[in-house]
Amino acid sequence: MSYELSVNGRRESVDVPGMTPLLDVLRDELSLRGAKKGCAEGRCGACTVRLGDRTVASCLLPVAVATDEPISTVEGVAAPDGPLHPVQEALLECGGVQCGACTPGMVMTLCDLLEADPDPDAQSVRQALVGNICRCTGYHKIVEAALSAAAALREAR
Amino acid sequence: MSIVLTRPEVRHASSVEEAVGWLAELGAGAAPLAGGTWVMRAEQRGEPLTQTYVALGRVPELRAVTGTDPVVVGALTTHTALAGLAGPPALDALRQAAHHSAFPQVRNVATLGGNIGARGFVEADLVPALLALEARLVLAGPDGRATVDLTNYLADRDARPAGEIIVAAELPVATTRRSGYARLTVRGGGEYAIASVAISVDAAADGTVTDARVAVGSVEPLARRCPAAEAALRGAPLSAVTARAAGAAAAAECSPRSGLDAPGWYRTAVLPGLFERAATRAGHDVVTTEA
Ligand SMILES: Cc1cc2nc3c(=O)[nH]c(=O)nc-3n(C[C@H](O)[C@H](O)[C@H](O)COP(=O)(O)OP(=O)(O)OC[C@H]3O[C@@H](n4cnc5c(N)ncnc54)[C@H](O)[C@@H]3O)c2cc1C
Ligand code: FES
Ligand code: FES
Repeated sequence: MSYELSVNGRRESVDVPGMTPLLDVLRDELSLRGAKKGCAEGRCGACTVRLGDRTVASCLLPVAVATDEPISTVEGVAAPDGPLHPVQEALLECGGVQCGACTPGMVMTLCDLLEADPDPDAQSVRQALVGNICRCTGYHKIVEAALSAAAALREAR
Repeated sequence: MSIVLTRPEVRHASSVEEAVGWLAELGAGAAPLAGGTWVMRAEQRGEPLTQTYVALGRVPELRAVTGTDPVVVGALTTHTALAGLAGPPALDALRQAAHHSAFPQVRNVATLGGNIGARGFVEADLVPALLALEARLVLAGPDGRATVDLTNYLADRDARPAGEIIVAAELPVATTRRSGYARLTVRGGGEYAIASVAISVDAAADGTVTDARVAVGSVEPLARRCPAAEAALRGAPLSAVTARAAGAAAAAECSPRSGLDAPGWYRTAVLPGLFERAATRAGHDVVTTEA
């Protein structure tokens, strides 16, 4: 089946079975390899992307139901040649990136959080991250990065 | 169960009648598709996919939330939307159950209808909350529409007629009604519940509980009402003491299942504590506190 998707503002057409996970389409058909396949069962958040105005686990989303709303991935949060997004910058700055496997998902979740709540406390950051597993950092540095990015974004406004 | 020879096909229905028509025609070779968070893990559970999925996402009627008493919640309402559902305190247990289930990325797509329709999903959080709220389901099938008690639906969930879908849940919301939900997980949030408890009570002006509905999830293979626990709550104001006594009564009437996460005895041993927590939350908007 042929499906039309809007990904990071571009129209894309793919020819795959309808139950193919969106994650496989992004990685294998569209060469967008930011989102990672950590668990493939909705538990780790490494595959987090945005569909319309909400974050979703793309490993569990059949491509057939991803056609009605725009999709954005980590590749779309900053312009290809531009500076990093403040969330990405803060993750690097605060030591929130080690192996990097969880990072694309962390970025998507944190961007989503900071849009909804520009001034979160550490507890709301932790709650927002309940679906994103990191095996390296112990989370503290990611929480710090979120608070620091929030401050940077507030200042920029 | 059918054997899949080709990769499953997805058809988008544009109305309830179209979905019902296709599902009836295709019989065992087809199933509804809502958020897909259960269906997409079928192979991990060792269950084959069916040949055709009928996607319900483009049926506007299934997304609607209407009415004031009962509040009628469309089957495609997501856990995230349910956590923020408008309406009186009678609905608190459902809001709390939706908020504490799974993770944001899953709550944003998983639906009410999918939670009820997921056969074999022992730990579903919405189901016990809906049982305590005395939800009735609006069903559509080849012979038209019907409304049934959720209890009756669950009793033969594994043998529902081909072509039937859940359209909505009707939730009665008497103003005297308060409800609360509590679940226990090994770590904090984002896990399946070892046991879960939903309590819904009607109280007289002096606080005396005149009627109670209690449901326990994840303890037996299917969430259930607990009549002995309900009786234990009637006749006195809701308190930690009455809630614990009701929890003990529920523990005595349940036959707990054992699993990798917990042995059976443990699931019932934690019930008094969970009953107390659910009672504390009844009538309080504690959706933002931890699991
Ligand atoms: C890692 C993970 C953890 C989770 N943890 C929890 C948890 O702790 N608690 C919890 O409650 N949920 C949890 N969930 C979410 C759970 O999958 C959903 O709650 C729900 O059971 C499925 O909803 P869905 O819309 O995705 O359904 P789908 O996967 O689309 O469908 C589920 C089943 O219901 C049927 N169905 C769907 N809609 C209808 C309808 N309208 N009428 C009739 N049948 C229908 C389908 O045919 C299928 O058999 C978790 C999910 C994941 C991935
Ligand atoms: S790969 Fe999707 S949640 Fe782990
Ligand atoms: S940095 Fe390695 S998993 Fe998070």
